Amino acid sequence: MSMNDPQQKQMIQEAMKAIAERKPGRSKLVYDKAKRTIVAVSENSQTPRALDITADDADMFVTVTIGTDWLKKQWPNIMTAKATPISFSCWDAGDAFTQNVLGPLASPSTISGVVAVESAVVEAKEHQIKILLSRNYASAAALSSFEAPDGTIYTATAFLLRDGANQELSVSFVDVQPALDKRRVGILETDVLKDRTVLCIGLGTGGAHAVIELAKCGVGEFILIDHDRLSVGNVVRHPAGISQVGRLKVNVLRDLILEKNPDARITVLPIEVLPETSEELRQHVARANVVICATDSRPSKLLINQVCVEEDVVAVFGGAFRRAYGGQVLRVKPRNSACFQCFISAMPEESSDAEISSPEAAEAIAYSDQPVAVEPGLSMDVVPIANMVAKLALLELLEGKESSLNILKRDFAAPWYLWINRPEPKTPYAKWPPLSESSDEMTIDRWYGIELERDCGCPACGNFNDNLSAALGLNLNAMAEVPSAPMKE
Amino acid sequence: MWTDEQRKRFILENEWLKHQNLDQFCVYREQGDDTYYASGTATSSSGRNYKLYVCLPSGYPNSRPSMYLTYPLSLLAYDGSKISVLGTSHYMHTLAPSSQGYVQICHWRDNRWHAGILLYKVFIKGLLWIEAYEQHLSTGKNISEFVSTMKESA
Repeated sequence: MSMNDPQQKQMIQEAMKAIAERKPGRSKLVYDKAKRTIVAVSENSQTPRALDITADDADMFVTVTIGTDWLKKQWPNIMTAKATPISFSCWDAGDAFTQNVLGPLASPSTISGVVAVESAVVEAKEHQIKILLSRNYASAAALSSFEAPDGTIYTATAFLLRDGANQELSVSFVDVQPALDKRRVGILETDVLKDRTVLCIGLGTGGAHAVIELAKCGVGEFILIDHDRLSVGNVVRHPAGISQVGRLKVNVLRDLILEKNPDARITVLPIEVLPETSEELRQHVARANVVICATDSRPSKLLINQVCVEEDVVAVFGGAFRRAYGGQVLRVKPRNSACFQCFISAMPEESSDAEISSPEAAEAIAYSDQPVAVEPGLSMDVVPIANMVAKLALLELLEGKESSLNILKRDFAAPWYLWINRPEPKTPYAKWPPLSESSDEMTIDRWYGIELERDCGCPACGNFNDNLSAALGLNLNAMAEVPSAPMKE
Repeated sequence: MWTDEQRKRFILENEWLKHQNLDQFCVYREQGDDTYYASGTATSSSGRNYKLYVCLPSGYPNSRPSMYLTYPLSLLAYDGSKISVLGTSHYMHTLAPSSQGYVQICHWRDNRWHAGILLYKVFIKGLLWIEAYEQHLSTGKNISEFVSTMKESA
């Protein structure tokens, strides 16, 4: 007897169907230890050299996941109409059905269904999932149990009508936000960040990774700014995948954040940071608790720095060096620590060593007749920098809050952090000792917090104009306007 | 449109230009549309006159100003061709010309510019470019050979 035996094939098919429907059939499946394969035998036959295969063994974990919150909102309709429509993402060729409303990213294949209370008469349709809720006087602890707003406990059974037969599915109710909060308990108080707002400008690999990390921490509100769209070239490093190519990065990130934190409030602004948009930027900076600057152009960083200083909002600047051989993070506490302008005045070379991750970034440093290659680094080399950005932002968000993480504030007191991924030739780090041979010298793959003095004469955060007028011995307030333009000839 | 700090900065730019004996250059305000620019005549060591014009963008000093050579209009290269035709050129240290055909001198790249750089340094670079241009006219060598170390020290 082999799988080529038509009778055996028929018996296996019949036995599998019976198992799926959890009903007795004429044949049953066993694992024949001698043949080391599954075979079908008559239901009543004794098979001492075989293992009976039960419905539980055959359960392929086809699971239907439904949001409790959604069902509670639908409950008045269900009580009136006795049934309500529902739709699911169909994953992995029907291995899992997840209610679409649970997250923003649906499967390309969806399936409709209906949720009905036991007294409803619901017509089953082919390829439709039917969920029946039956009163249960026992406990609500099981995953398939649902507690209605009136306190009544229901147990759900679900069926998928496929090829004219009902396939029973396993039902799981999920209460998303409490379940997510539960996983953060212990390290981070569950709702401590819900009233906090993060503004992230620049949603390339670094910015995207940082905001997703903060979404996982439970930050309640995000404002996302980026005018760019996701390109195929981005995908190799960006958290978003190939199926998102062409979308605005702000919309992609909105969905990725909601996938991690469905209750997050998100504002998306597909604008470029320019002097012309600075007033719009200012409005959003003013209502943020922290600003993450992850843009790749000097002019935008200077403008963001200026606005954050003027609005007195802490900003965290993150950036990778060329080909991400390393990176740095600067946290700016306006008028209390060095700002981005202080940093570039003090460290012109360090501040200019930027990754060339896009054609626009290459164009900014090249003449068109001398192209500079786009040479982005590896994702794994950018992620440590993005993690540091997220961590510094998190500590700022915890300002004034009780949290066990506040102990970290003593470790992250410096304004500037340096990370080197590899001893890149022709850099000051080329001769650093190997990681494995060093115990107290500077090496790769370690963070270094570095003190940096604020420049009191800084044009952005200091008294640049006053210092300049003092150097000239002038009283700036008593001086006239610049001359009017001469008449054109 | 302009903040008080920006207007003060323009006044100080003029004072600093005077302080550096570069008062042939000056910041002006166009009364009609309330815009600012800086301009003046640069005289090369050979005695030739050139006019430099610097557009002051609304984001100044965070945004880099563009510097154009507005006189003589037809700036010719050693081989007799117009320099403005080259557009952005590494060898001639130029960026895209204006719509009127004025040559744009590359003084600072966008990703190196910052608010601490004063206009007098921009004009110094303009003067250097003019000297390099005249060297180019007499030798045929590219301007980049004379200003290859042109980088900021601010």
